[in-house]
Amino acid sequence: MSEILIKVVINGLLMGGIYALISLGLTLIFGVVRIVNFAHGEFLMLSMYASYWLFQLWGIDPYVSVLIIAPLFFVFGMIVQRGIFQPILNAPEVSKIFAAIGLVMVLQNLALLFWKGDYRAIKTISSGLLIGPEGFMIGLPRFIAFLAAVSIMLGLYFFIKNTYTGKAIRATGQDQGAALLMGINTKRIFLIAFGIGSSCVGIAGCLLMPIYSVFPTVGAYFVLVAFVIVVLGGLGSMLGAFIGGLIIGLVEALSGYFISSTYKEAIYFIIFWFLLIYKPTGLFGSVSQE
Amino acid sequence: MFFKTLFRPQIYIPFLGLTLLILTPVLVKSPFLLHIVIITILYAALGSAWNIIGGYGGQLSLGHTVFFGIGAYTSTLLYLKFGLSPWLGMLLGAFLSMIVAAIVGYPSFRLRGPFFVLSTIAFGEVMHIIAINWRDVTGGSVGLGIQFEPAFKNFIFSTKVPYAYIVIGLLVLILAVVTLMEKSRMGYYLSALRENEDGAKVLGINTARYKLLALMISAFFTSLGGTFYAQYILFIDPYDILTLSLSIDMALVSIIGGIGTIIGPVIGSFFMIPLGEFLRGTLGGAFRGIHLIIYGTILILVVIYMPQGIVEKIRKKYRVLVSKLPGFRPEEILSLRMVPGSHILQTANARSFGEHPTPFLLEVQNLSKYFGGLAAVSCVDFRLRQSEILGLIGPNGAGKTTLFNLICGFYAPDDGQILYKGKNIEGFRPHILCQKGIGRTFQIVKPFGNMSVLDNVIAGAYCRAPKNAIARAKAEEILKFVGLWENRNLIAKSLTLPGKKRLEMAKVLATQPDLILLDEVMAGLNQREISDATVLIKKINEEGITVMVIEHVMSVIMSLCHQIIVLHHGEKIAEGAPEKISNDPKVIEAYLGEEYLIARG
Repeated sequence: MSEILIKVVINGLLMGGIYALISLGLTLIFGVVRIVNFAHGEFLMLSMYASYWLFQLWGIDPYVSVLIIAPLFFVFGMIVQRGIFQPILNAPEVSKIFAAIGLVMVLQNLALLFWKGDYRAIKTISSGLLIGPEGFMIGLPRFIAFLAAVSIMLGLYFFIKNTYTGKAIRATGQDQGAALLMGINTKRIFLIAFGIGSSCVGIAGCLLMPIYSVFPTVGAYFVLVAFVIVVLGGLGSMLGAFIGGLIIGLVEALSGYFISSTYKEAIYFIIFWFLLIYKPTGLFGSVSQE
Repeated sequence: MFFKTLFRPQIYIPFLGLTLLILTPVLVKSPFLLHIVIITILYAALGSAWNIIGGYGGQLSLGHTVFFGIGAYTSTLLYLKFGLSPWLGMLLGAFLSMIVAAIVGYPSFRLRGPFFVLSTIAFGEVMHIIAINWRDVTGGSVGLGIQFEPAFKNFIFSTKVPYAYIVIGLLVLILAVVTLMEKSRMGYYLSALRENEDGAKVLGINTARYKLLALMISAFFTSLGGTFYAQYILFIDPYDILTLSLSIDMALVSIIGGIGTIIGPVIGSFFMIPLGEFLRGTLGGAFRGIHLIIYGTILILVVIYMPQGIVEKIRKKYRVLVSKLPGFRPEEILSLRMVPGSHILQTANARSFGEHPTPFLLEVQNLSKYFGGLAAVSCVDFRLRQSEILGLIGPNGAGKTTLFNLICGFYAPDDGQILYKGKNIEGFRPHILCQKGIGRTFQIVKPFGNMSVLDNVIAGAYCRAPKNAIARAKAEEILKFVGLWENRNLIAKSLTLPGKKRLEMAKVLATQPDLILLDEVMAGLNQREISDATVLIKKINEEGITVMVIEHVMSVIMSLCHQIIVLHHGEKIAEGAPEKISNDPKVIEAYLGEEYLIARG
């Protein structure tokens, strides 16, 4: 393998880590609450702005602001679930999807209204740092993002596997009615799952800030990738979201290298399309996608 | 006759609306206002086109921008490169869109719910990316401009008035098609498959075909809108005409107005688009995107507080208004026309039975079906005579419903075969089998919840009725026959359980089956309802229909059936007349356990 190809693969995996980071929260929400939360990208955008302003106004490093933003977004997610999605829990699919789309429109344009369309980036201590062996140096923030994706994946995995709440979340994801009959307060579980999912994307926003610029439509790009990954990995599967993220990162990097970087998105959307149709349960999916 | 109907408010109010619409381009002098009018009507047309598949068919496409884009690019490219008149290009683009719709729709329709939505979004994104990067043809991000050379054949006009009339024509055309569709076979079939796809299949509806057809029609009209837009703006680029937000807007006007209704998308766009355009015009620079914040907020509020859209809120007021206007007469109740034939449930028997030598309507030979290692149905044989009632009993999990699913084509057998009228029916899908005369009900009822009881049955009657009036007349007869006539105008989901079970039977009977499979139509009914249902099944059988019935209520089975088959763990353990079965030790053992047998000595 040529040196350049190794670099392409490393970059692809690192990018995949970032994608995985964003998708972990989404797979929880999509897999359990069954809401196609298109506004997940806007949650990311908001958390990036939050992290940006914390740094600009008070000089709080994004890695520190995680401590503020994670709980903040947990509450934010619960409010969104309670205010918007809970009232339409039993409404037809069209209502849920368009409620999410309405939320996208509002959040995206509120950001545009407050912060204009400018690209905003910050320079932190870690921004320019490189680590790794000579010739294969990688940016420290990307590496941290990758590690964070692994830790969140493992954390969530053990949480839903071993705690009572986690088991209740899985049960609710499998069958809402049956969970209700087992004495699980499914509405509360939905609130918690939505909160955790939002909190994850809040963390993702902080970790992306040293790497990317933030602008009002930044989420729109990431959210579609995240959906591809969630479906690829299988609904509600943490490991699936992580592996799926890495696969998409690799596919993107390799197709950029071998074919053309302009078509890389088209390629994974085509993969996504075939996957949806021919392997709708995803790689690690246990829940049927009807 | 026709002339008289013109003086009824139900007719002249829409005509007044149309007249007003036609006068608007002449009355509105300001080009800015006229632009808003044109864009509003264009969205009304696009929303109405989307509504065919999204509203009536219930398949939420968020990829319609592709058809819009194909329309715009096809006509524009043919005009720029070959000088072909955009009028012609518009038609070519529309046909191309239909082809693309067929190719993409066919696999995508296997998906349901959010996954279908995601697949349409992915499709739109792929096209967006291709349009940006295929610079040689599409001009990439730079876009394509059309020279301003006004001429009719160029589809370019020096004032906005002709454009306004063209777009009004487009809207009227789409509305006419939707109106015709709504009260025809296609409209009923789309609503039925939206409400319950399996329930639709067993009524002989080829759901895949009708979804595809609806998508193609929808794509055709969306594409016309795309060409119109290109010729109106004289400039296209992938950020304007091939974007997710355009797909969303088409759906948005329908949802806010009222999804699955004729007038909904029109009301939605008349409400939303001028609002947005005015906000953009007046607040524009200072508050970019404020109109989208308002759109989004309205969308969320509508979805939560009036999920049926604005239409639902004004429908009652409109009816009251109409009833007070001069010339009002209530809608005539269609006079009952008898369908030719002496028997009410005139079946297909006379048509096809007797062409084959065997006296058995259904012969099941050595039939097996495995789920993993479990033999749900194992080597089952039986024969069913014409006009018999066959009971199928056995403990829960014995494989009774699986057997039904095999006969109806929902499952493919792993071994053995099923002969119907002497012919092997392997590989026939449920809707084909229904057309051939095998009807069934579901244990868990599958009503088309948001349609009226009558409309539920009409959807079934289309299986054999060539015309709308015949389907309706047939459905009305059947409703009287099963005793649901009083409830015909209720919404199906509001029926009680016995009512829903009866509706299941009515829907199947409307397809005029030769063989009817009833899956626990009495479960959950009280004693009186059970005896009513028993009488009904006898009546059905007296009409010459062969019946196969799964039931747990033994007294019913014993009094009703000519023959009984007992299944246990997927195997046939007994067969014969009711008296014989009730004394069979193997049957008693299966139901009551070995101990019972021993205790009884």
